[in-house]
Amino acid sequence: MSSPNSESPRRARIQWGDLAVRWSFMLPTIVLLVLVLAYPIWYTIEISFSSFDMMTFGAGEFIGWENYSWVLKDYRFWESLWVTLVYLMWALPIQIILGFGIAYMINAQWRGRGVLRALFIIPMVVAPVVAGGIWRMLLDPIWGVVNWALGLVGLGPYDWFGDPNLAMATIVIIDTWRWTPFIVLIATAALLALPRDVFEAAKIDGAGRWATLWSVALPLLAPVIAATFVIRWLGAVKMFDIVLASTLGGPGKATSVINLFIYEEAFRSLNFAESSAMAMIVLVLTMLLTGVFLIGSRKLETMH
Amino acid sequence: MTSIDTTAPKLRRRRRSYSHAARVGGAIFISLLFLFPVFWMVLTSFKSQVDIFTTPPKLFFDATWATYIEYFTRADIPDRLLNTVIVATGAGILSIVVGTLSGYALARIRLRGAATFGVLILMSRGVPPIALAVPMFLVARNMGLTDKHITLIFAYCTFLIPYVMWLMRSFFVSLPKELEESAMIDGCSRFGAFFKIIVPISMPGILSTLIFSIILAWEELLFALVLTSRDAVTIPVAIAGIAGDTETGANWAALTAVGTVTVIPVVIFALLVQKWLIQGLADGATKG
Repeated sequence: MSSPNSESPRRARIQWGDLAVRWSFMLPTIVLLVLVLAYPIWYTIEISFSSFDMMTFGAGEFIGWENYSWVLKDYRFWESLWVTLVYLMWALPIQIILGFGIAYMINAQWRGRGVLRALFIIPMVVAPVVAGGIWRMLLDPIWGVVNWALGLVGLGPYDWFGDPNLAMATIVIIDTWRWTPFIVLIATAALLALPRDVFEAAKIDGAGRWATLWSVALPLLAPVIAATFVIRWLGAVKMFDIVLASTLGGPGKATSVINLFIYEEAFRSLNFAESSAMAMIVLVLTMLLTGVFLIGSRKLETMH
Repeated sequence: MTSIDTTAPKLRRRRRSYSHAARVGGAIFISLLFLFPVFWMVLTSFKSQVDIFTTPPKLFFDATWATYIEYFTRADIPDRLLNTVIVATGAGILSIVVGTLSGYALARIRLRGAATFGVLILMSRGVPPIALAVPMFLVARNMGLTDKHITLIFAYCTFLIPYVMWLMRSFFVSLPKELEESAMIDGCSRFGAFFKIIVPISMPGILSTLIFSIILAWEELLFALVLTSRDAVTIPVAIAGIAGDTETGANWAALTAVGTVTVIPVVIFALLVQKWLIQGLADGATKG
């Protein structure tokens, strides 16, 4: 008699309790990320639409799109975006091609394969700022070991930091040194996972090396290559440490990638409002391009 | 007839063995090339000033601990090392606790709306850190929170929690569902099932994810540069200072000695968990 009355609120309470338990797994992450991620982004948006108040050291009055129009008229901003684009267009393809090429060589059947693969972890975990610093030493025009070695074969000496084009090459070299091993490690796993029988069938059909690579291996690897590209892209757009420790953006502004430029605008010139506007533009650009790349890589995956 | 049959495979095998040897040789050569900068850094850290600035560069010299003694008896470098240890382990532990819980939630618990949060958090990987560094600096400054370990620990959560969450999620998805189902039928609560069954068997994955997180925090530069000034300065900031110090010229001794001390522990840890690292990378690229 009393059971229906006592049972239904209890069941409801249990379900509420269960819901609370379920959410309590998710809640700490949400609370923390709202605090340290969502709120700062919100604050960046707020400052980007305000004048910066030096007295309160925070957002002043609302001024609409003024910071944005100021930034968009600033040729240095465009120059820095261009520098970033050039860096990305060199670094990403080089690293991916090199990474898969090296992975192919490493995957040759022999005893030391595992050791080589493990050794490739080392450059990956060298702090980027240390990487920049060491390469600055290696590439030093006078005392550097690289110019000395190139001199042995009759090349150089090169002024790796003084010439704008070479400075960009320097950045790409350092970044490639640090990040290619990452791609090598992904690629060795991907190459080992390729189905053997397809390659044997291609061989029986008389396909040559290039034909096999082009029309058998590449289509099979396309999804992994696309995924690697997206991961690498997300890392590369954050390029900052290596440049700061090696070229410092120079000579002139030749290697001043966008993150370094915004950093200097904010923390050296104290243009917080304008640099917030720049950061928001970069954020939106990055999100849009990442979306495009993700859709592209999904397409590749469904195609094959 | 029989002679043709026996020589043809032999020839082919020899030709294959040449290309095989070229592949192995090339692989070894390239690996050494990639290791050279680290080797040269360690080598240079044991040189005296006279041996550093020579042409041709010296491979053999009288090794000395002078640079290490000079820089590691000076107050600021050991302090910065300690700061880095505090901040990196603090941020790593906080992120692993929080991120493992939410990774499990995304993998196993049906929650309306949680998937949306998951995607939002994944999207945060596209946020340029400078867009966070500027407001964090302003807020921390107004609240008197700059130059404190705790501030950096929270700042590092911005990239560590999403990383841990998605890595652990894919780890939990790969576990058989029966594990906690049977535990919960036996009367375990959801928390009980998670802490008594899931966490213990996931320990290797959790520990290696913790190590990667600590490594990522260990190397971080931008937030540390912006949020610290004296008491909580970390090693990457110190190295950026040494590398960027153009007034006193290239201080390669300091750079290589401090660099070596920064890199070697990380290399050891990374090699310890290399199997997981490679696995995690491969999963991240193919399933992520």
